[in-house]
Amino acid sequence: MSAEAVPVQAAPSVPEEERVRHELEQTWRQPPGLLPWLKSVDHKSVGKRYIITAFIFFVLGGLEAATMRAQLARPENTVLGPDAYNQFFSMHGITMMFLFAVPMMTAIGLYLVPLMIGARNVAFPRLNAYGYWVYLFGGLFLYISFFLNTGPDTGWFSYVPLAGPEFTPGKRADVYAQAITFTEIAALVGSVELIVTIFKNRAPGMTLNRMPLFVWAMLVQAFMVLFAMPWVATATQFLAMDRLVATHFFNPAEGGDPLLWQHLFWFFGHPEVYIIFIPALGFVSSIVATFTRRQVFGYPAMVLSMVATGFLGFGLWVHHMFTTGVPQLGQSFFTGASMMIAIPSGIQIFCWIATIWAGRPRFTVPFLFVLGFVVLFIIGGFTGVMIASVAFDQQVHDTYFIVAHFHYVLIGGAVFPLFAAFYYWFPKLTGRMLSESLGRWNFWLFLLGVNLTFFPMHQLGFEGMPRRVYTYLEETGWGDLNLLATIGAVTIATSMLLFVINVVSSLRQGAPAGDDPWGGETLEWATSSPPRPYNFAYIPVVSGRSPLWASSAEMPVVTGLRTDVRDTLVTTVLDAEPDSKHRHPNPTIWPLLTAVATTILFVTLIFTPWGAVIGTPLLLLGLLGWGWPRGREKWEQQLVEGEA
Amino acid sequence: MRVTRAVADVSALPRTVFGHRSLMWWGTLGFIIIEGTTLFICAMSYFYLRRNYSTWPPEHIFRPALLIPTIQVILMLASNIPMWWADRASRRMDLQGLRAGFLICSALAVMMTILRWFEFRALNVRWDTSAYGSVAWATLTAHTTLLVLELAETVAFTALLFGNQVEERDLSGASDNAFYWYFLTGVWVPLYAIVFLSPYFM
Repeated sequence: MSAEAVPVQAAPSVPEEERVRHELEQTWRQPPGLLPWLKSVDHKSVGKRYIITAFIFFVLGGLEAATMRAQLARPENTVLGPDAYNQFFSMHGITMMFLFAVPMMTAIGLYLVPLMIGARNVAFPRLNAYGYWVYLFGGLFLYISFFLNTGPDTGWFSYVPLAGPEFTPGKRADVYAQAITFTEIAALVGSVELIVTIFKNRAPGMTLNRMPLFVWAMLVQAFMVLFAMPWVATATQFLAMDRLVATHFFNPAEGGDPLLWQHLFWFFGHPEVYIIFIPALGFVSSIVATFTRRQVFGYPAMVLSMVATGFLGFGLWVHHMFTTGVPQLGQSFFTGASMMIAIPSGIQIFCWIATIWAGRPRFTVPFLFVLGFVVLFIIGGFTGVMIASVAFDQQVHDTYFIVAHFHYVLIGGAVFPLFAAFYYWFPKLTGRMLSESLGRWNFWLFLLGVNLTFFPMHQLGFEGMPRRVYTYLEETGWGDLNLLATIGAVTIATSMLLFVINVVSSLRQGAPAGDDPWGGETLEWATSSPPRPYNFAYIPVVSGRSPLWASSAEMPVVTGLRTDVRDTLVTTVLDAEPDSKHRHPNPTIWPLLTAVATTILFVTLIFTPWGAVIGTPLLLLGLLGWGWPRGREKWEQQLVEGEA
Repeated sequence: MRVTRAVADVSALPRTVFGHRSLMWWGTLGFIIIEGTTLFICAMSYFYLRRNYSTWPPEHIFRPALLIPTIQVILMLASNIPMWWADRASRRMDLQGLRAGFLICSALAVMMTILRWFEFRALNVRWDTSAYGSVAWATLTAHTTLLVLELAETVAFTALLFGNQVEERDLSGASDNAFYWYFLTGVWVPLYAIVFLSPYFM
């Protein structure tokens, strides 16, 4: 048996291609009905659910923010009392960071990466479905607790000793700890998916240095998740154990240390910012290239900048702890490291500007959102350099200046690119275009609203308004700027409403998109809109960084994968040479059942250590069902009959 | 729909590949990184909390007993020999050899799990006595979770190998199970040194 791909030179005949498509359709399709929907392991189906779920959490987080802004609109307001306010700001932060930002970025990666690299699915489709279910159940668990008045109330960072057993009796902090565990598992699973898919399932010829910048961004992000998320997962387990079985990790009376929590949390928490931000860089690169009709300037510099950001992101965590009494040398090191991260960010901004400069930009809605990103992110970046300085940071620590800074960075750096991505890839997901005119209203109102809301907060911070206070006195003089910020929040909410209207109306009567409405350079635009369940009838062969901008009208492909089973091609890591064939699993209910077992384990563990005794066997049972041999081709049979 | 032109036929490519050529090997590596990081965090927390004490273990707490943990670490290292042998058998497509290797390793995994119970007792401290006890228990527990999962997987795999549903690609799966085993047993050496030996000289 030859172990190599055999070169051929022929166009598959039209009837042959029809037959292949028909058979692939039968093999890969998801039948209608609830059960097939629950059993789906298609990355597009799972990805879409992920995106919609994350968007719903985004709306919930936004409503929490709007309620807080209503409370702060004037001094001594009574919309929210102190206890409810604590829960609202905690839920807002937890929702936006753990249930919206990271899952949304991962979800878009899980949807798009296989399409961009010419694959038929992610590397481990069942694990992918499991990750989604765990995420969904974690989110539901958090919100059910919130509606039962047991929502976390100690902030998204839940510092000890406040979150410890002594100062937060009841179950609120336990809900926090376990909700985090759910989302961490989902994020870790998603990143293993992305890494292996990107390394092993790229189309032949797509060497690492021909990979789309978006795919590079997702690769760097996935590695960051792998090294960052275990820190918060371990920290929250320590916290849960301190609360449940009286361990003393954070209890100074028995040799524990509250600062250990801060180190563990921020060793995750700072990379988290880049975990959210780096995929956004990938969106921006894709969109800039398409709407200037030029490859992004400085590909190696762009890739190296993203990788450098990935590494540097791990060396900054102590700048969140400057007021805890860090040694002088530590302060200097972390100030330097924090400022250094501006270098790769700056390189990328300049590369995009160079690309736009040399191209002929089309000012469509996705491109407008990219421009909005550049403006807002630069403002947020500048205030970031300011607070990297210890002396400055100590003045504005825990004031609204910090709130202003990180909202500029996160909304400007991640949410604007995300909306650009929505407008850009919506036609691929749905087959319909979003309305450009509603999109422009959405963009301008959002841009205006963000600046109205968050710019005044810089001044409020200088005037000494602390974060996380549920009200303030009239004599402070903070009323006018707070009212302005609330007006901004209303403006943002209006822009979001326009977006939702745009999506709903475009789904019904948007202009048909066709396969490639924007003239994109990457492989996802070679599939139909929305893509068929098998993505590509034949796996494409790539010979450059912009496969769809190649001069030839014909797309080179490989043949020889089976159409009666879910066959896919595995390639080598560096050069993407065809290496082996791999059969993907059929749809199965076991990932869902295993996620249910995981949920039982985590939720019972909040109430009793015996939860482990109840939950672990259930989990193992789920895994056993998952791996149970069914419908297999026996080995002896395969040996006799070979692979033909 | 774009016009396509076939440039290569991949029907002759193999379906069963080993090591870094297989998808599952990379998936396993991903989980090794995650779990390795988690164990690393336990170790770092151990050293971080050490700074809060003038003596280690803290006063009035006995040092850990060494006999059982030392037997365990030797057993874990020695278990790599039959697992390595099974790994080689899988790559030779030698089903009989693989069955024998996995049977031995399943028995060893059961022994290691039983010994682990006694290792907790050998710590000579409870988790709620002090931060020292907490972090020692947490490190041991974190590794035990992995040990139990690997025990379950190895036993299930052994059952599969002795059934009549074995596929050729299961051999590659067996090899990836071996890859994880090397990590699980290897990583215990520094953790053993930290949890059981370091209280004697730190």
